[in-house]
Amino acid sequence: MTKSKLTRFERARIIGARALQLSMGAKPMVEVTGSLDPIDIAIRELKENVIPLEVRHGPE
Amino acid sequence: MDIKKVEKAVKKKKADFPEQLIQEITEAAKRHELKAGELDELVDTLKKAYERAEVESGEAVGTVAAQSVGEPGTQMTMRTFHYAGVAELNVTLGLPRLIEIVDARKKISTPTMAIYFEEDYAEDEEYVRTLANRIGKITLNDILMDFNVNYASMTLSIEIDEEQIEEKRLDYDEIIKKIEKAFKKVEINKNLLGFEPTISEAKHAIRELRLLADKVRDLQISGIKNIGKVVIRKEGQEWVIHTEGSNLGAILKMEGVDKTRTTTNDIHEVEKILGIEAARNAIIREAQATMEEQGLTVDVRHIMLVADMMTADGTVKSIGRHGISGEKASVLARASFEETGKHLLRASIRGEVDHLTGIIENIIIGQPIPLGTGSVGVIMKQRE
Repeated sequence: MTKSKLTRFERARIIGARALQLSMGAKPMVEVTGSLDPIDIAIRELKENVIPLEVRHGPE
Repeated sequence: MDIKKVEKAVKKKKADFPEQLIQEITEAAKRHELKAGELDELVDTLKKAYERAEVESGEAVGTVAAQSVGEPGTQMTMRTFHYAGVAELNVTLGLPRLIEIVDARKKISTPTMAIYFEEDYAEDEEYVRTLANRIGKITLNDILMDFNVNYASMTLSIEIDEEQIEEKRLDYDEIIKKIEKAFKKVEINKNLLGFEPTISEAKHAIRELRLLADKVRDLQISGIKNIGKVVIRKEGQEWVIHTEGSNLGAILKMEGVDKTRTTTNDIHEVEKILGIEAARNAIIREAQATMEEQGLTVDVRHIMLVADMMTADGTVKSIGRHGISGEKASVLARASFEETGKHLLRASIRGEVDHLTGIIENIIIGQPIPLGTGSVGVIMKQRE
């Protein structure tokens, strides 16, 4: 799926999933400066479009 | 500035506007004499506003629609619970009418029609009046001058009012023909008519005579099936017929009737005659008119959602036990609405399987629901 803009639900879901990965020890894909909060890092990662996650809709 | 130009400008900006919006843009562009560059800017701004107003996938539109229709509904209860006379005709309004619409009743309590006419006939009062008398129910009682039941000679005599016939634009010969067809023992002497009852037993003679009297009075001499009283009104320049009762099929076949504007408030009739899309529009129009009449404004899109749910299957379904809620695929969803025991018992007998794809099922078993954030799945990106 190559939709340019994410809905606010997709954003929340991706940031949440990525933050969980980070909190469990995944390597951040951006330089960590300032906040060490995994959610903040995930938000910055999303802004720079480097999160290795994709959204999908519908039942599994 | 014509519509083609606007369409082109809209296409160039890759905006996906509905027809009506394009029409409105065209009108605005004409009114303000926009130049091509200004039009582009307008379309651009509109596109932004339009996309901002669109709901995102995953939003709980159904819940919002239910609240948006339900809240004004509570105000209605307090204000009215009865009929309001609109020019001699009774029409169900307010909450009872709204309930009628969403319940998709087969027999609505006050069916009415608004019959409009094509350009050539709309201002022709004479034609409209003639047609109104063909449409509206007229019984023999309406054109009587005198009515006598004679118990001594066991006969019935009536006198027909020729002035009334003239006024109602009826045909005298046709009326006589109808009377002759309906009653065998009848003597006709110009406008004086004598009837005799068929008496089988002497002791029932008086009853027979009285029955005959009622029958004579109630003999229908003009009108279309299912239509009662008609009211002719001038609305602006044109004449419009409003009826009590409804028969869309028969009315649309009449000459001069404007097929695009003539309507009925009976949604099932619209579905039968004009199809499911027309029924959807009828639901939207009726529901909104009912709310508006009460001074309540509900965004059309909420009502459109209700109408879409009711008509999506190709037939008009009610909301509730016998319609949408009662036909849900999930046992748990059905059981949580009404008649819990019945649904669970039946499901157990049939061995139904619940795939837990809906919202209610997942709430019941305590899982994240497929709505909003919960409707989004996450997968790892493929490595390049």
